[in-house]
Parts: sequence; C-alpha cells; structure tokens
Amino acid sequence: MSSQVESPPVGKRESFSYDDNIVKLFVIATLIWGVVALLLGVTIAFQLADWRVNLGLPWTTFGRLRPLHTNAAIFAFCGNAIFAGIYYSHQRLLKARLFNDVLSQIHFWGWQLIIVSAAITLPFGITTGKEYAELEWPIDIAITLIWVVFAVNFFGTIVRRRERHIYVAIWFYIATIITVAVLHIVNSLEIPVSFLKSYSLYAGVQDALVQWWYGHNAVAFFLTTPFLGLMYYFIPKAVNRPVYSYRLSIIHFWSLVFIYIWAGPHHLLYSTLPEWAQTLGMVFSVMLWMPSWGGMINGLMTLRGVWDKVRTEPSVRFMATALTFYGMATFEGPLLSIKSVNAIAHFTDWIPGHVHAGTIGWNYMLISGVLFYLVPKLWNSELYSKKLAHTQFWFATIGLILYIVSMWVAGITQSLMWSAMDDAGNLIYPNFIETVIKIVPMYWVRAIGGTFVLISFVIMIINLYKTAKAGKKTAEKIYEANALDDSSIEHNASAHRKLEGWPMIFAVLSLIAILVGSGIEIIPSLVADKYILKIEAIKPYTSLELYGRDVYIKEGCYLCHSQTVRPMSHEVVRYGKPSNAAEFVYDHPFQWGSKRTGPDLARVGGKYPNMWHYRHFLDPRQVTQGSIMPRYTWLFENKIDYSDLSKKLQVMKQLGVPYSDEEILNAVENAKGQAQGIADELVENGKVPEKIVQMDVVALIAYIQRLGVDYSAVEEEESDEAASVK
Amino acid sequence: MKQQALSNFDMPWLPISALIIFVVCFCFYTWWTYKKDRIDQYILMSKIPLEDGEERKDKV
Repeated sequence: MSSQVESPPVGKRESFSYDDNIVKLFVIATLIWGVVALLLGVTIAFQLADWRVNLGLPWTTFGRLRPLHTNAAIFAFCGNAIFAGIYYSHQRLLKARLFNDVLSQIHFWGWQLIIVSAAITLPFGITTGKEYAELEWPIDIAITLIWVVFAVNFFGTIVRRRERHIYVAIWFYIATIITVAVLHIVNSLEIPVSFLKSYSLYAGVQDALVQWWYGHNAVAFFLTTPFLGLMYYFIPKAVNRPVYSYRLSIIHFWSLVFIYIWAGPHHLLYSTLPEWAQTLGMVFSVMLWMPSWGGMINGLMTLRGVWDKVRTEPSVRFMATALTFYGMATFEGPLLSIKSVNAIAHFTDWIPGHVHAGTIGWNYMLISGVLFYLVPKLWNSELYSKKLAHTQFWFATIGLILYIVSMWVAGITQSLMWSAMDDAGNLIYPNFIETVIKIVPMYWVRAIGGTFVLISFVIMIINLYKTAKAGKKTAEKIYEANALDDSSIEHNASAHRKLEGWPMIFAVLSLIAILVGSGIEIIPSLVADKYILKIEAIKPYTSLELYGRDVYIKEGCYLCHSQTVRPMSHEVVRYGKPSNAAEFVYDHPFQWGSKRTGPDLARVGGKYPNMWHYRHFLDPRQVTQGSIMPRYTWLFENKIDYSDLSKKLQVMKQLGVPYSDEEILNAVENAKGQAQGIADELVENGKVPEKIVQMDVVALIAYIQRLGVDYSAVEEEESDEAASVK
Repeated sequence: MKQQALSNFDMPWLPISALIIFVVCFCFYTWWTYKKDRIDQYILMSKIPLEDGEERKDKV
C-alpha cells in the first residue's frame, strides 16, 4: 500500500493470507437480499396507495409483508453488508486471517437460514408482534447462536492479530457485537406456548419500555455503529489518506456508545411511561446530536483536498452522500425527540420518512460506496461502468427525495388535520378517513420514489455483476507482517494505549458504557409494580378475546393502528380518556403501535355494533368509504383453533395474569360460549351463515369489542387514584 | 392528575446519578484524548487502514 506505517517494536516476520471468499459470499447475499427488501418495500408502498395491491391473499397483505420488509432491509440487506465489510476490514486492520474458516461458513449459512426462516414465517403471520423483533422464539435462539459464532470468529481474529493497536473501526464493531447481543436477548425473553407461538415475558408499560429500548438501539447498534466502523475504514481507504481527526473519532465513539442507549424513551413520549423517563429520553436524544455530527464531520473532512473524487469516483460519491444523509437524519432524529415536535410528528408518516432518510440515505448509500470499492478488488477487476454508477446515484437520490418530501407533507397534513379544533372545542375533521383520503396522493409519490430506489439497486446489481464477470482469477495473495510477541509489547506506553491492546477489557468497558444507560431505562420497568397500581375493574381477556388478540397480532393490525390515547385535547375528544398504565398490565405483548395509518383503537370497544366490525373485516369500504384497509376474507374461512387455548391461558398465568384454574380448564368451553353469543347476534341481524361461530373473525370481533371497555367504565376518581404512586 | 402522580415517581437519584456519570466520563476522556503528548501516536494509528501488510511476490 502507499503509506508506510512506522511500527512499535516488532516480533518475527510471518506470512499469511486473507479469507476473501467469505467476503464475496456476504457481498452476493447483500445484493440478493437488498433487491428483495426493496421489492417488498415498493409493494407495501403501493398497497398503501391502493388497497387492491394487497391481492386479497393472507400472505400478501400489508400487515404481514411490512415486518418482512423491515426484517429483510435491516437484518438481511444491511446485516449481510455489515458482515462483508467487517470481515474485509477486520482482517486487514489486524493483519490476520479470520480466526476460523469453518466458523465463517457457519456464520454465513446460518445467517441465510435465519433470513429464509423469517421469509417463510412472517408471511404466514407467525410473529411475536413486537416491531423489528417479530421473529418467533426458535429463530431468536438461532440468531443468538449465530451471533455467538460471529463473536468468536471476530474476537478470535483479534487474539491472532499482528497489529498491536486496535483501530477505531474495530471499536465500533466491538460495541455492535456486545450491544446487539444484550438487546436481542433481553427483548426476546418470552415463554413458548408451542413451537411457533410465544408470549413476551413483559407486559404493558414494561414491555413498551424494553421494546423501544431495543427498537431504538437496533437502529443505533445495527444500522449506525457498524456502518460508522465501515466509514472509518473505507473512506480513508477509498481516498488513500488517514481519517481527518483520530482524536475526534475517539470522542465520537465513547460519546455515541454512552449516549445512544439512553434515548429509547423518545419513542414513548406522551405515553403512560413516567414523565421523568420521557424527559430523560428527550434530553439524551438532543445530546446525541453532538457525537453524530462529530462522526459526520470527521468523515466528510477526510475528503479534504480530494473533493474532486466525489465527482469522479463512484465509491467516494456514494460514501460522501451517505454521510450527508447521516447528518440530515441525525439532525432530524433529535428534533423529533423534542416533546413539542414529537406531539406533531408521532404516529404520522413523518416517522417512516425519517427512518428511510437513514436506511436509504445512510445505509444503502454507504453500502453502495463500500461495494464499489470491494467488488473490483475481490474479483480482481475494474468497475464495469462509472456511467451506470452515476445513473444509479441519481435514481437513488431522486427516489429518496421524493420519498422523504412526500412523507413530510403527509405527516404534517395528518397531524394538523387530527388536531384541528374549532372555537367550541369540536374536531374540524371528526371522521378519521378524511385525513387518510387527503394523503393518498402522497402515498403514490412515495411509491414512485421507492420504485426509483429499486431501479437504482437493479442498476447496481448489473454493474457489479458485469464487473465481477470481467474479473481475472488469480492465486491467493500472500502477505507478510511482523508477529506480536513479547518483543512488540510497548512497556512504556500510556494506560489507554495499553487498553487499546487489550480487546477483552475494552469490550467490557464498552459493555459497561451501554449498561449504564440501559440500567437507567430498564430499572423503572423492573420496578413497574411500584408505580402501576392495578385497577380492580381491569380484568384479563377471556379465552376467546385472547385468541382474537393473537389474530390481531398475526395480521399485523398494530402496524397501522395504535392502542394508546395521548393526553391531548384533540385525542381525548376523538378517542376518549387518555390511556393509563394500569390498563395494560395483562398485555403480553403490548400493542401500542407506532403509526396511525388508521385510527387509534384503545377505546374502540363497544363503539360500533358487532355487525359493523363483521362488514368492516369483510370489506372495509362497506362501512368506511375511501378506506385503504385490505379485506380480510380469510378470517371468514379460517376456523378458530382451540387446541392451544388452555395452554395459552396457562402461560399467561405463569406470566402473572390472574387466570383461575377453572378458567384455564374451561378455556375452550368458555370461548365457544362467547363465540356463540356473538354469532347469534350476527345471524339475527343480517345475512350471516351460522357456521360463522367457528371462524376467526368472531374471535377478532370479541377482542376488538373488549378494547378500552374496562377502563372506560372506571370512574374518573378511581382511575386517578390508580395512577397515583404508593 | 395522572401526569402529576407519575411525576412523583420516587427515583430522582437515577437520572441524576446517570448524568453525573456521563459528565465525569466525558470530561475525563476528552481531557485524555486531547493531551498534547499523544499526537504522534494518533498519527500512527490513523494510518493503520492504509497498510494491508506487505504483499509477498515470491509466494508458493
């Protein structure tokens, strides 16, 4: 390479090679899953613009494809890209081959198997109902095992390294490995009911807190820290000059790792989470601005003196653009965390707009830059066409801008319409559907923007395929470097310099940094019983309602409907009493949602007759003109599966839901009785076949009709008392 | 009323101690990072990505 590094005392000279075959495999997987993720994204974008794109099939509806899209984008596309980039840079930064080739292969094939499992289970509605953590418990265990394989391979390589100092990119990788493991394990704690069904260990507020601690930090430690590590390696590499400020990178690392983990509660502002925890989440989100921009500036300033390469070199152009979008997204994120801004933006389309500024603008752009650097090197070739790369760039950029701007417009329109009230305190748009119809044109713009991004990705695949195809096969390159042995130990080095050579201690310190913030967030949920008093009137779901709740989760209803009323005048007028933490103590998992494509359902129980819901599920446009909700005709054909019902109640009892032994024993009988009552009423009031009593739709109606009923009946005085602290 | 009740949640030590931990850590590592005697080390470290190891030409 061009620059000769002056090394500290050295050991004996050793020869070695790098395992680039595993990098190639991850690169190919990145391209395959990337196009799948984008195709799914475009599909669900069109589904929101026109409900008929749901195709009337259970496994192609929005509620089932949306988790598949997010999982494919995050864990399949970005995940494979991360592994490709990490394995390439890790070996070279440490001047050592990966620890074990077999572990590398297990890692690769195991990860692909997990993705395929997700691709099979999610469309079938096999889900935990927790956003970005939808995969059921056997897949969760597989993820844990494969992550351990990755960690062993990663740390084993560090142990066998020939470079004393651990470069800052590897610090980011270490933080990623440690934190993702902690997040995944804590959030996935659940009790299985069967091979493909489980209930979260946590309930209500507690579950919400853990879930968004996970959800927020999945973004932080899966979509940010590993990519920052890649940025710190590939930008200097692409422009052949060192990072602008190594000092700044150290401050960047520790501040980001320390602060990021605290900010999760900003997803739960104005919810029943304790006020101080919300404020803490907001303050730390705003503080996050500093390290985020520190990293962006450090990356961009590395390009000083070589800005012309942004024009001429596709890899540099994509990486510079990625950093620009990173700066934009990390400015917008803290802004959205400020309570007064959050009051406007939360539950609206502004949030998906923000999320895609990150995933397309930052992750996809950076991945493109890395791939344009990697593929010619791995396949020993020249990039097939710079012109194609620039065409891809403009398709991606224009598509993304269409996406973001349309979602800004949609989000602010929704928010203003939801909250518009006249002088007498009446809602100006009392019918929620008015606000939906208004933004459908923006959904079309978003879908077109997404299509542009998909086209850009296909262009990249063609370009990289042609590049790889033109490559010449060569023998594996052999490198030489000095081994680390006793003679290479810097006895007079400073304390931190030594620390940088002790990866395990470094990893432990990183773990402590994230655990401090996690503790602040998790402790309140562990002691939730102290501040959430149970209200006598709030009863557990009946066995049929519990089954109906599972149908609700299976169909992904929570992806479009929230179940929490914020303490704002317009929400109280529109929906009813603000939500209370005591309402959710039996909700394993919580179903507050994060988006209102449709109205909130926290107080929907009893608002409409059973027949209204029956017709609504059969064809939403029968009762709501202009609705974009898909039809759920299969709920009228799928029979209620009573086989696991007693077991479900039993598991709930284990989780603390006060079901009596009698209720568990008679779960099926009770469910059939309640279903018969609903079916009789439906049959009596309309042309409904009697066999409806056996169908899923009856259970779902039972659940929907229960929502908010108990709490709505509680007198104001009693609910205030219940909310007070011991 | 609910917000008032929740604001009484009796753990003020938690965010305060967290804030103190953060400020102390931040001050320490900023001071340590910007100590002038470490400039040479940083120059050395920042060049690590530019060096892949020496390619051996006489390989088997």
